[in-house]
Amino acid sequence: MFISTTRALTLGLMLVYLPISSSLASTPATTPTAMPVQAAAKAATHSTADHSKFEALKKSFASGPEVTQACLSCHTEAARQVQKTKHWTWEFMNPETKQRLGKKHVINNFCTAVPSNYEFCTACHVGYGWKDEKFDFTAQENVDCLVCHDTTGSYRKLPGLAGHPNYQDMEYPPHSGKVVKAPNLGEVARNVGKSSRANCGACHFYGGGGDAVKHGDLDSSMKNPSQYLDVHMAKDGLNFTCGTCHATAGHDVPGSRYAPTASDEKHGAHMRGKKDVNPATCQACHGTRPHSAKLAKLNDHADKIACQTCHIPEFARGGIPTKMSWDWSTAGKLDKDGKPFKLKDSGGHDAYDSKKGDFKYEDNVIPEYIWFNGKVNYTLLDTKLDPSQVIRINHFEGSPDDGKSKIWPIKRFTGKQPYDMVTNQLLIPHTYGKDDSSFWSNFNWDKALTTGMQAAGGEFSGKFAFVATEMSWPITHMVAPKTDALNCQQCHGANGRLDKVPGLYIPGRDANPWLDKAGWSIALLTLLGVIAHGGLRYLMAGKRTHGEQE
Amino acid sequence: MSERIYVFKRFERFWHWSQAALIIALMITGFEIHGSYKLLGFGKAVGIHTIAAWSLVTLWVFAIFWHFTTGEWKQYIPTLDKVDAMIKYYLMGIFTHAPHPFKQTALKKHNPLQRLAYLGFWVFMSPMIWISGWFYLFYADWAAWGVDQYLSLEWVAFLHTVGAFMILAFFIVHIYLTTTGHTVTAHIKAMITGWEDVK
Amino acid sequence: MLKALAGFIVGIVVIGLTGWMLMPQLMFSERVSPFGMEETVARIQHNIQNTGNGWALSGLRNPARAVQGDGGNVLPVLMIEACSTQYSKPILKEDTVRFLSILMPCKISIYKKNDGKVYIGTMNAGLMGKMFGPMVGEVMGKVAADQKKFLHFDPNTPAPKMITPAIPASGASIPSLGGGGGC
Repeated sequence: MFISTTRALTLGLMLVYLPISSSLASTPATTPTAMPVQAAAKAATHSTADHSKFEALKKSFASGPEVTQACLSCHTEAARQVQKTKHWTWEFMNPETKQRLGKKHVINNFCTAVPSNYEFCTACHVGYGWKDEKFDFTAQENVDCLVCHDTTGSYRKLPGLAGHPNYQDMEYPPHSGKVVKAPNLGEVARNVGKSSRANCGACHFYGGGGDAVKHGDLDSSMKNPSQYLDVHMAKDGLNFTCGTCHATAGHDVPGSRYAPTASDEKHGAHMRGKKDVNPATCQACHGTRPHSAKLAKLNDHADKIACQTCHIPEFARGGIPTKMSWDWSTAGKLDKDGKPFKLKDSGGHDAYDSKKGDFKYEDNVIPEYIWFNGKVNYTLLDTKLDPSQVIRINHFEGSPDDGKSKIWPIKRFTGKQPYDMVTNQLLIPHTYGKDDSSFWSNFNWDKALTTGMQAAGGEFSGKFAFVATEMSWPITHMVAPKTDALNCQQCHGANGRLDKVPGLYIPGRDANPWLDKAGWSIALLTLLGVIAHGGLRYLMAGKRTHGEQE
Repeated sequence: MSERIYVFKRFERFWHWSQAALIIALMITGFEIHGSYKLLGFGKAVGIHTIAAWSLVTLWVFAIFWHFTTGEWKQYIPTLDKVDAMIKYYLMGIFTHAPHPFKQTALKKHNPLQRLAYLGFWVFMSPMIWISGWFYLFYADWAAWGVDQYLSLEWVAFLHTVGAFMILAFFIVHIYLTTTGHTVTAHIKAMITGWEDVK
Repeated sequence: MLKALAGFIVGIVVIGLTGWMLMPQLMFSERVSPFGMEETVARIQHNIQNTGNGWALSGLRNPARAVQGDGGNVLPVLMIEACSTQYSKPILKEDTVRFLSILMPCKISIYKKNDGKVYIGTMNAGLMGKMFGPMVGEVMGKVAADQKKFLHFDPNTPAPKMITPAIPASGASIPSLGGGGGC
């Protein structure tokens, strides 16, 4: 706990810091353990190619795109494949709701939105140079191969560089006195390999502006998780990578949060290679009746209850707390010297940051449970909202009787963020930028919102306020060992986990009170009746015997 | 002067006592599953309840077979003959040691009131508990059977509980009535040894 | 006569059973904390340090961490250990009650339950002490009075920082002794 707390604290300090590697210079505690694991992984690789022997890579590289060109000299179709994916386009058209989603379009209640903040946000883009709307999405050399295939842990994309790594040594975070060394691109290129947990985690563990902030079930503790934390990915167990479940073909990683598979009853366990089915569901491997005959009754639950509900009893269990709320309305306070400041909570995590507002963190969070059928509706830039209500940034649809829903665990993230009081729409602030209109440089909402909305192509009346929002995140990682799944009583009893889920009759929890009253009354009256009858018999018998004796 | 008659044959006694044990187990675990108290833990209670239910089903298959092959089923044919006398006996005569209006023989071992009670058991309690229990047990197959739109777990559980309360009341009276032989333990002894003293 | 005796015995049994069932509630108490895990710990730790009377923190244990080391999960538990030589000394000096050292240091447990709430578990030092004679009773009475102060929260003061032991232990990484205290 304390080692990880320290680590979380260090990372929390660098909120705007999206580390790419596992061997963080700033976290010496992790370095000694992380390195041998990587070495071992490399030794165990079954690859038929040793990239260090490739002529095209036997040189030094000045920039990322240069490396990509070398990659493409052999992997001729790789860039085109990547360019078709969400990882590149940051766009996703939901075929069911017809909503245009993807990072490029959604607004969340964390850092809110990408437009006007490209240089910062695109540190997590699989490309180089996306600094404004003019980015060329067709240029193949703009694809970043290394961020997903680096095995050295030395390749990092720092926020503010529009997706490039730092080509020179750089002080980061600014004024921190810490120096991030420029990666040796040639060395990195000669050591490429399959994507590891650390590669995916470089972005997905740090979403929302820091370690563990966004998902709750994905954080840096999953880089080398112990058995208790994730039974599939445990470093001393099955040692799955993300790709073991998110089995990728042609660079298109399956499994989507925009259109999740809430119920996989139709497909069940399926043969590898089958097309158009999500390989990342639990059922894809375990089938729809996964428990042994001895636990057959548990299989009867599987039609209504997602595996995750019982098998992920809590999230953020790796010792790193996840952010539970973010209130932008208090952002921008300055100290007496006119400088931004931060306050810590008892655990050493940010409780307030002038740049961002107030936060709440929690670890070992007990999820909320909802009916979910896989359909998600988003509140987008042009969605009209009712500011007297809590705005659902995304809304998971589902009901007990639509035949498609299962009970899922979710993280519910709450916050307050700016909206336009005239148009009743959400607003996008220009948060990051070296110009003087960004919120983080001058702490002026008017300027930040004007610039942000201009970049996003939206309307801003000039009148804004803060509206309460909430966002739901499906919990599906951090699967606990089977002995730690929820037990029967945790739902089949008073104060159970599913108390807030509608449309359920749970034996042991729900009994008809009238029936109980009537039933026990009848049983009691019967008992009293026979006792009276018996007593009378006893008394009468006694009298008679007495009489006989006389 | 009393005579002894052999009323309960070996299988019948085996059937009775194993059934008694199973029904007691079913009641104890059943009311725990219902949420009335905590004893074994929900999961264990469900496990025992299910095993006991299947055991009882098996036992009944044998018992039904036995009753038909031996003709003993006739013992359960209801009759209204002398019912009024029986009721009168339990309300009055029993206290004054009046003679029992029913003469038990090996061919007629159940008195008319018993026969009516067992009729109630066969007509109300048994179907209610078994049918609701069957659907309760096979909850996951409702959709496959095409009955899911007609049933709700809440109502199935409700009827199952109604059955359980009826059986509980039956059980209490049944146990009490075993003490109403010519001695308090006479009937119980008969159910153990098979021999009943008949006055 | 026989009836009276039987009644007497039944009476004793009933009282015994009642006592047996109430004992856990008398010996220990549990309450919901208005704060999160870490803030609860931090506020209690600072209260302990501000109580005077020789109180010092002697450790912060994390038994959940040990369970994790064995591959299992339990909800968070943190045990604050505190000690005051002022109170431990007289007990440790007296041979007949030295065995009470097994109750040292004074512990307060902070834990999360399945309802998502954070709870504070304490021992009823006052009652426990009364069972071991007048000297222990007096000392433990004072401990109980101080314990009340440990759990007095002022929500208007900002959340203090949790005090973590200086050197985390290796292995199951249960921190043993923190700075200070040490009795």
